[in-house]
Amino acid sequence: MHKFATSLRRLTADGDKIGRCSRRWFSQLPQRQLPETADVSAGAPIIPPFDYSPPAYVGPTADEILRKRKEFLSPSMFYLYKKPLNVVHGKMQYLFDENGRRYLDGFGGIATVNCGHCHPDVVQAIINQITTIQHSTILYLNHCIADFAAALAAKMPGDLKVVFFTNSGTEANELAMMIARLYTGCQDMISLRNAYHGNAAGTMGVTAQSNWKFNIVQNGVHHAMNPDPYRGVFGADGEKYAKDIDDLIQFGTSGHVAGFIFEAIQGVGGIVELAPNYLPHAYNSIKKAGGLVIADEVQSGFARTGTNFWGFQNQGIVPDIVTMAKGIGNGIPLGAVVTTPEIAKVLTRRSYFNTFGGNPVCTAAGHAVLKVIERENLQENAHVVGSYLKQRLIALKDKHEIIGDVRGRGLILGVELVTDRKLKTPAKTEILEIMDMMKDLGVLVGKGGFYGNVFRITPPLCFTKEDADFLVDAMDYSMSKL
Amino acid sequence: MAVHRIITNRKTFNCFVNTKWVSNLSSVRWFSSVQPPELPPFDYQPVPYNGPLADQVFEKRKKYLGPSLFHYYQKPLNIVEGKMQYLFDEKGRRYLDAFAGIVTVSCGHCHPEILRAIEEQNKLLQHATTIYLHHAIADFAEGLAAKMPGNLKVVYFVNSGTEANELAMLMARLYSGNLGMIGLRNAYHGGSAGTIGLTALNTWKYPIQQGEIHHVVNPNPYRGVFGSDASLYAQDVQDHIDHGTSGRVAGFISETIQGVGGAVELAPGYLKLVYEMVRKAGGVCIADEVQTGFGRTGSHYWGFQTQDVIPDIVTMAKGIGNGLPLGAVVTTPEIAQVMAQKIQFNTFGGNPVCSAGGLAVLKVLDKENRQKHCADVGSHLITRLKNLQQKFDIIGDVRGRGLMVGIELVTNYKDKTPAKAETAVLFEKLRELGVLVGKGGLHGNVFRIKPPMCFNKDDADFLVDALDYSISKL
Repeated sequence: MHKFATSLRRLTADGDKIGRCSRRWFSQLPQRQLPETADVSAGAPIIPPFDYSPPAYVGPTADEILRKRKEFLSPSMFYLYKKPLNVVHGKMQYLFDENGRRYLDGFGGIATVNCGHCHPDVVQAIINQITTIQHSTILYLNHCIADFAAALAAKMPGDLKVVFFTNSGTEANELAMMIARLYTGCQDMISLRNAYHGNAAGTMGVTAQSNWKFNIVQNGVHHAMNPDPYRGVFGADGEKYAKDIDDLIQFGTSGHVAGFIFEAIQGVGGIVELAPNYLPHAYNSIKKAGGLVIADEVQSGFARTGTNFWGFQNQGIVPDIVTMAKGIGNGIPLGAVVTTPEIAKVLTRRSYFNTFGGNPVCTAAGHAVLKVIERENLQENAHVVGSYLKQRLIALKDKHEIIGDVRGRGLILGVELVTDRKLKTPAKTEILEIMDMMKDLGVLVGKGGFYGNVFRITPPLCFTKEDADFLVDAMDYSMSKL
Repeated sequence: MAVHRIITNRKTFNCFVNTKWVSNLSSVRWFSSVQPPELPPFDYQPVPYNGPLADQVFEKRKKYLGPSLFHYYQKPLNIVEGKMQYLFDEKGRRYLDAFAGIVTVSCGHCHPEILRAIEEQNKLLQHATTIYLHHAIADFAEGLAAKMPGNLKVVYFVNSGTEANELAMLMARLYSGNLGMIGLRNAYHGGSAGTIGLTALNTWKYPIQQGEIHHVVNPNPYRGVFGSDASLYAQDVQDHIDHGTSGRVAGFISETIQGVGGAVELAPGYLKLVYEMVRKAGGVCIADEVQTGFGRTGSHYWGFQTQDVIPDIVTMAKGIGNGLPLGAVVTTPEIAQVMAQKIQFNTFGGNPVCSAGGLAVLKVLDKENRQKHCADVGSHLITRLKNLQQKFDIIGDVRGRGLMVGIELVTNYKDKTPAKAETAVLFEKLRELGVLVGKGGLHGNVFRIKPPMCFNKDDADFLVDALDYSISKL
């Protein structure tokens, strides 16, 4: 496949005849105009072939939608690209716009669509369940929630086997924080600067990037120094960063804390993998202060890191509480909190209830996702393809000065762009241009980091080496055109 | 009604034990208490169930879902299939669903048009987020905004009522620049740390920090100290503002008919008075329509309209998607502008499938005239229940409107002592007869009748007859 793709690229050297042919073959363009593309001049990389034609789209156009969005939706709702993209259909690792043009989805709906868009098994599981019963609540029994909880627990180490279902990562983290505070009787929560954990009042407190924090009362939250190997003052020395936790506890709290919450690889923060050896030390400090350790696996979970199922497993600790969402249901609104039976008891003090949480359809989808990940060896694929992709990106770094750092693991990768490698000045405007050029070439990636200068590459885990090549080639091509 | 006067107590009634009375004027029916009533017919066979049975599921739940997970009934009911207003257990037995998964299944279980919309969208795109465009979220937002009065037309999509109320609270505090929120005692607004503060029923409140919340006297016509006198209750709000706050507040939030609190409809005229006080103190008014929205009250599309007010923020969930995990906050462009200061993002919120489902719900409810239907069936139901109240002292109060009805049970009609044990017994009896209702109120002594809106008069009759039969057997 790889050879075929490269030879195809070479063939396009003499005009883009073949490029146009393959585009026509793979996308239906009956009544609509040809897809508008930027330059598809000689040498531009070509999207890997995909034996699938999307159905024709006859719905509202991008402009109509944008107008309605401006009128009826939040004014703070943003979109990517100068000319926002109307994504109407998805199939595995590809997305299609209103003109039927295919794009490589390098972002996965923000690390969410792990199995692939409209994965047949997941869609079937949803349709089977939705035609049986969508919703009844846990007031009645239904096997879906129980089966999925058991399957999820089976993926957990240690004594982590009690599951609470929610509808989002925010709800999961809110619940985790409440559990920690109730269990310990303490209020103080510690999170890392640059973290993202959610948008409700409590989670907004532990979220630690000013862009995402409204001016509200933050109760008992302490933001520890981020063990950022690239930008952090201690480089990759995890232990040095961990001392900041001790410091915060000794001076900023009563000496006892409710807990510590972290992402093994910070997502919104720009794919920052915590410095090696950081977590075990942080874990000890928190334990000494009687706190619980909460692993936010919303982005790093469900095989995405390739080496392990959960991000925290790459860091050598077993947390007390694990939260998850995003990839758990391949895009269906679902979240979960997993903890130990002992800690779970704390919620028996009162009644805790979540109306939609654990409904038959979402749990059936979640269960299907676990099966797909296993059957299709997605973790292995994430590891193999991810490592390959990372290698190619590192090679690209040698070619382009603008790449300051390449990091991450498996299929949660980040490429940080800087205008000056020594000063690490964020390339805030350049990244937007490159991102737009890549989109014109047919590659969609995400953006993150405090300065918005990090490409986030978190595609569906069925991503192939050919896709990886296409992505890197598109990035290469775009950077060359800057 | 002459019929009522004859049958004022069980003793007199037993003389008529084998008689059926049908009145043209109020469709009063009296079933014999010898034979249990029968479910209305339903031309549908459930799919034979081959999955895990109740005991197995229950064991797994205990093991993997934590000890805090509760359930209805001594012997928990394994619900495996649903169709319109009926549910089926593992044996294929049909039940009348009078609770709709807690006021959630608005159109009916597995309503074909909703299913079609969901399935079609599922095959195209489940999720991409709002960083890209998609028509479903825009169309649905437009559809929702069209149902709103005043300047309420900016929609935020979230995944639950809890998330919606969290966001509403955030908006109120940011917009007003004040911190204090006012909520009603007996309210329920969510299960997250923030909304637990607003929720005002001790069984649901964990001992955590609540932030600045002032819980005011509940304008409860049945149990409240001021009866139905809205102005006296409203004065309590002014009192709290004057003495418990800086004089400025962030906002006020309420349900129009309290759900978890036991279908308590706020004393008439209350919201008008309170909204004015709150706005004078710089606060915004939030209407929690999670349970009362979408025509359920029969008289109006939104609960707050029954109180003749226009809030600044409206939150909704539950019925909005017929069971899809979906919630929304609708507010004015003015308030929305304040939210534009920072990034406000919800990964799953407004996803194509839920938006398509939500839009289908709006269309179905309109096409099937569900609001009017709720008014018709609801008044029939309430009338029959009020008649039943004449017959049984245990029925302390019958309240609500449309298909949002509460029946409060008491052991002493005058003292209004909650009949907790009897409610539990009747709850089980109803299940045995094939009627699944909900329970609520701080003391768990209120039956909540909030079925899918396709519930019809025959279903209502069956429900009342079953209740009649069960109470007779107490």
